[in-house]
Amino acid sequence: MDYLVITYFVYLAISMALTAWAGRTLFANGKAFLIDVFHGNDSLADSVNHLLVVGFYLVNLGYISLALQLGYQVTSLQGLIEALSSKIGVVLLVLGGMHFGNLYVFSRIRRRAIMPLAAPPVLPDGCTMVREA
Amino acid sequence: MIMSLTILFDTHCDLCRRIVIWLESQPKYVEMLFVPAASDEARHRFPQFDHDATLRDLHVVSHRGDVYRGAKAWLMCLWAMRDYREWSLRLATPELMPLARRVIAKVSSNRFRFAGYRSPLQRESLDLREAH
Repeated sequence: MDYLVITYFVYLAISMALTAWAGRTLFANGKAFLIDVFHGNDSLADSVNHLLVVGFYLVNLGYISLALQLGYQVTSLQGLIEALSSKIGVVLLVLGGMHFGNLYVFSRIRRRAIMPLAAPPVLPDGCTMVREA
Repeated sequence: MIMSLTILFDTHCDLCRRIVIWLESQPKYVEMLFVPAASDEARHRFPQFDHDATLRDLHVVSHRGDVYRGAKAWLMCLWAMRDYREWSLRLATPELMPLARRVIAKVSSNRFRFAGYRSPLQRESLDLREAH
């Protein structure tokens, strides 16, 4: 087994572990948030949480698998570590981007949920008497 | 808590009428009533009110009698709608409010040019000028 194949295996193992870790974090910590948004409706919160996490896994694993190919030969241990480091670096950035994207979705859902209670954006210019029609 | 908003709009302005039709079709958080500006109905409902001013600027009055003029009136219309409440809050921030004010003032003062109509006030002043 040459260095390239070892690089691939290590790359897959590390990136999948990272994806699993990020997905779990999202799943565990998103729940409280969604329960609040859906006014204590646990089953709906669970369902939305689950759907979001599945999307997260699919996009990340898809990216990891697409980005597997290195395109050049690895002939030494130093080359292996360098190649691995740059690959995993990009995977981490993609994971980070996805994670923030998910947080954005959470905050949007929450903002929408509190909208009906929002006070008027401006103070009135004055006051007048109103007669019923 | 505001339950309803009365929008005093200029019926002589094509753009305003079109906007009212669009507003009527939108899903809302609070009820919106549309009353022609300076009409008998408007005068009956708001007896202590400068009705000539309502022909110059859009005016919105809440069921409690809070009066919103010009840019604020537009923001209140946005605020009443389900799909645009977020926008009204965003536009009312100190960063965006001056821009909103400028754009609304521009559109409002050019509204007859967009549609090719003249307001009763403008017509009046034109008639006066012609008479002299």
